[in-house]
Amino acid sequence: MSRPRWMKLARDLVLARGRMAMLVTALATSIFAVALMLSTFTVMTREMNVNYVGTNPASAFIEVDHVDEALLDAVRRQPNIADAEATSWVNGRVEVAPDQWVPLLLFVVPDFANARISTVSPEAGAFPPPENTILVERAVLTLLDTIQLGDSLTVQMPNGTTQPIAISGTVFDPSLAPAWQEQTVYGYITPATLAAFGEDTTLRILKITVRDQPDSVSAIETTVEQLTGWLTAQGRVVDEIRIPPPLRHPHQSQMNTVMMVFLAFSVLSLILSAVLTATMIGGLLAQQIRQIGIMKAIGARSSQIAALYLALVMGLGLIAAVIGILPGMWAARGFSSVVAQLLNLNVYSYAVPLWVYGALLLMAILLPLLVALRPIRRATRVTVRATLSDYGTTAAFGSSRFENWLSRIQGINSSVLLAFRNTFRRRSRLILSLSLLGAAGGMFMTGLNTSSAWQTYINIAAVDRHYDLEVRLNAPQPMEQLAALLSGVEGVAEVESWNLIPAAVARPNGLDIVRTYPDGGHGSFTLRSAPSDSTFINTPMLSGRWLQAEDTHRVVLNQSAFVLFSEAAVGSTITLLIEGQPVTLEIVGVLRQILSPAAAYVTPETFAAAAQIQPTLTNAVRVAMTASDPELVAAVTQRIEQTLGQAGISVRVAVSEVLLDNATSGHVFVFIVALLLIAVVMAVVGLLGLTSSMSTSVIERTREFGIMRSIGARSRTVLLNVISEGVMIGLMSYVLAFAVSLPLSFGMGAYLGEMSFRSPLPLMIAPLGLGLWLAILILGSTAASAVPARQAANLTVRETLAYV
Amino acid sequence: MAQMHPAPSPLIQLRGLTKTYWTGAKVFTALDGIDLTIDQGEFTAIVGRSGSGKSTLINMITGIDEPTSGEVMVASTPVHQLNQEQLAVWRGKNVGIVFQFFQLLPTLTIAENLILPMDFCNTYPVRQRRERALHLLEKVGIADQADKLPADLSGGQQQRAAIARALANNPPLLVADEPTGNLDSQTTDAVMQLFAGLTAEGKTVVMVTHERDLAHFFTRFITLADGRIVANEIGVPA
Repeated sequence: MSRPRWMKLARDLVLARGRMAMLVTALATSIFAVALMLSTFTVMTREMNVNYVGTNPASAFIEVDHVDEALLDAVRRQPNIADAEATSWVNGRVEVAPDQWVPLLLFVVPDFANARISTVSPEAGAFPPPENTILVERAVLTLLDTIQLGDSLTVQMPNGTTQPIAISGTVFDPSLAPAWQEQTVYGYITPATLAAFGEDTTLRILKITVRDQPDSVSAIETTVEQLTGWLTAQGRVVDEIRIPPPLRHPHQSQMNTVMMVFLAFSVLSLILSAVLTATMIGGLLAQQIRQIGIMKAIGARSSQIAALYLALVMGLGLIAAVIGILPGMWAARGFSSVVAQLLNLNVYSYAVPLWVYGALLLMAILLPLLVALRPIRRATRVTVRATLSDYGTTAAFGSSRFENWLSRIQGINSSVLLAFRNTFRRRSRLILSLSLLGAAGGMFMTGLNTSSAWQTYINIAAVDRHYDLEVRLNAPQPMEQLAALLSGVEGVAEVESWNLIPAAVARPNGLDIVRTYPDGGHGSFTLRSAPSDSTFINTPMLSGRWLQAEDTHRVVLNQSAFVLFSEAAVGSTITLLIEGQPVTLEIVGVLRQILSPAAAYVTPETFAAAAQIQPTLTNAVRVAMTASDPELVAAVTQRIEQTLGQAGISVRVAVSEVLLDNATSGHVFVFIVALLLIAVVMAVVGLLGLTSSMSTSVIERTREFGIMRSIGARSRTVLLNVISEGVMIGLMSYVLAFAVSLPLSFGMGAYLGEMSFRSPLPLMIAPLGLGLWLAILILGSTAASAVPARQAANLTVRETLAYV
Repeated sequence: MAQMHPAPSPLIQLRGLTKTYWTGAKVFTALDGIDLTIDQGEFTAIVGRSGSGKSTLINMITGIDEPTSGEVMVASTPVHQLNQEQLAVWRGKNVGIVFQFFQLLPTLTIAENLILPMDFCNTYPVRQRRERALHLLEKVGIADQADKLPADLSGGQQQRAAIARALANNPPLLVADEPTGNLDSQTTDAVMQLFAGLTAEGKTVVMVTHERDLAHFFTRFITLADGRIVANEIGVPA
């Protein structure tokens, strides 16, 4: 720093410390957000993988007539099979209050101590579970918040047996979505315990892991195909095959999508801050334009002066990086913990990869540098003559038609008029300020618009379902008898049959392969019978039409099912595997159905033919109640349970709207909170941008204020002039922000909707976003211009006219 | 036999120098075919009414502005052919400029202001720069002000500092644009003495001035009107 040019830079920085502090704050805030999101993204992507892969997840689950030790030994010797184990799944129910039930998914584990595939880790209590006791997944205790380790659960099995079972321990199973999210109890028992419930203890699920390419669906499919062929040759009956996305947690895609959106927003905020840097450096250069001229007159080359200011920007970026990166990473620990808790994962290490540090440092330094290059280049290339003839009263005004039009505006307060004309005087900076504020406002509004669209979509999903309860049965029952039984329950308005049966996309090899995880929810695909005249669902069609009574061998797919068939279109045919048999159907329509797993809808007659059941039977009914308030739904559900129980009809699961609401809210909560957090960062950066812009404008016009004051302007006039200009810029940017928010909200909604629901979110304009940003702008622009305005108003005439 | 004196070598040669500007709808001719030669060691005054082209002329000589047509040769360098980067380097080493409002950089001390041209042009070893700055300040009589900021100095002291800065890289030519316009008569006289002393040391000084009562300091007196030279007088005018 012994060279005077660097001393000059350092002292100039001290003089402009307020603006530089603002700049560093904006940059640091943005780099904080990027550090937070990028670190969380890398940590959670890794940890989710570590958690899931740590269970040694099965490559495939093959349902056969029975699995014994001899079969397992033989399977382990088949080509590309790394290991094989047996298990069973049982869908039961848990009574959480008298006649109030939640679904129970029981995993039957023959040998807890030596389990190697899709394993669980003991958390508390006994392991393995003593006979006639159950282990529950740890998140179950969050779902059933009144239940503790040692308490008993009242469990109902598919055979209707209902009896209490003690919770002897908790386990951690990261391969499942959290119990509270899915509103399902996950339990783990031994075959002996299952036998105590009178259930068949035959193990039917063959879990396998493949040796080569365990992350390749096609490699797994090939292995499974060979294995299935061998099993069939051995006289075994192979039913459903589940091949979940290999080595991917059920929520991996959603988490990646959401994190990518957050990351994109935070990078955008950094770009905004970089633009802000360019604005501020532009202002500093404007202030020093005469000094630049003098330096050039005494021998400085443009490159030498440019190097000074580029070093300044690099220095500021570095300071911002130091301030922003470490707290961002520290906050990422907290955010990762929250995300992990919401996804029921353990974070084994919060270590952030080294490349993240490098990337953040580069972003913090290079991005502002790149954006500031242009103003620095422009200012340092101005000729000495041009710089020395800059008298601080800024550029000539009145040389364009627009300026001439502005100059003809009369009849308003002269200070406001002057502010109005001043606003358009430095048009390049005005454009920069408007871009900055417009982009910040646009993103702020987009954050709230997307959040609102998401919420609206969930509401639409609820509104599209005009029933309050779906009851699935363990065995089909005569529909007429069932309808009569339920119609007699107080509070029931209407009952419809909505049969369901698991479906799979038919493959050339004839295998019944589904893409489902063991929980059966994520990635499931079902065939459903739908009364053609049903009033229970809205049928917003994406293409084609809804079912008609005479439709046989015709199908309507929802959008999640539609994407399973790569070349499907309305009018084309598809082949499903139902109970292992191919069923060919013509697509007549594609239904938009939000927050619903893949489903294919057919008429009851087509369903009966496909599922090979009598048309008079049903295994699921939907019930509309006389009112939809949660208390009534709970009470009527309780009465329905009692009625069915008394009739000896075993219920597999009863899913009410309230239960669905709880499940979906759990999925979106994190997303909305984080989106709003990013919107706040945008607002901060935008307002700092306006403050800097106004400071620069005031500094540039210091001499002009001197002239105004020398001809009689009072401090108030100067204040009013500057504040009017700030508010005017703020209001102009509002229109721009709104315009920016429309395509941005549309694009964001399309991306998020497609990733999450296979359907774009509607374009929503959140009045809250519009109102909040307007309030922020008016208050913020007044505050932003008040500080420089006060400085301008407090300067003496002598100080302002002597300004160099 | 009469002794032959060597002819003085020309330092500045202007040939057919014309400068026009567009001002809105019409062309304004600031300089109109100027031909002028100034020899080394001369102390030249350029006078004329406001708008006569005085400042434009010295901007041509320093390369601050470029001619519309014609040639500017300074110490055999075709200044009109240099680009901005070349001009900056050339100017730093060959021309010292003194402005009417001093134009010292406000955040640097007086000594630092003097070191800055040496720093930019890399003309003296780093360790010798302060010593040279102090020497120059002593020469202009304000060595005791070396570590003060410009705002702490009087107008006359600031102008002396500006002259010292102009000498920092030991250029053969000093160009001053109304350097005494902001000074009182006593300080003006001291500053003019300084310039006269420099010409005696062999420097060439070209100065724009309005003040005819300084005429006795100059060796040449050029009068401009409407962008043309209307008088080019050698020695003290009558």
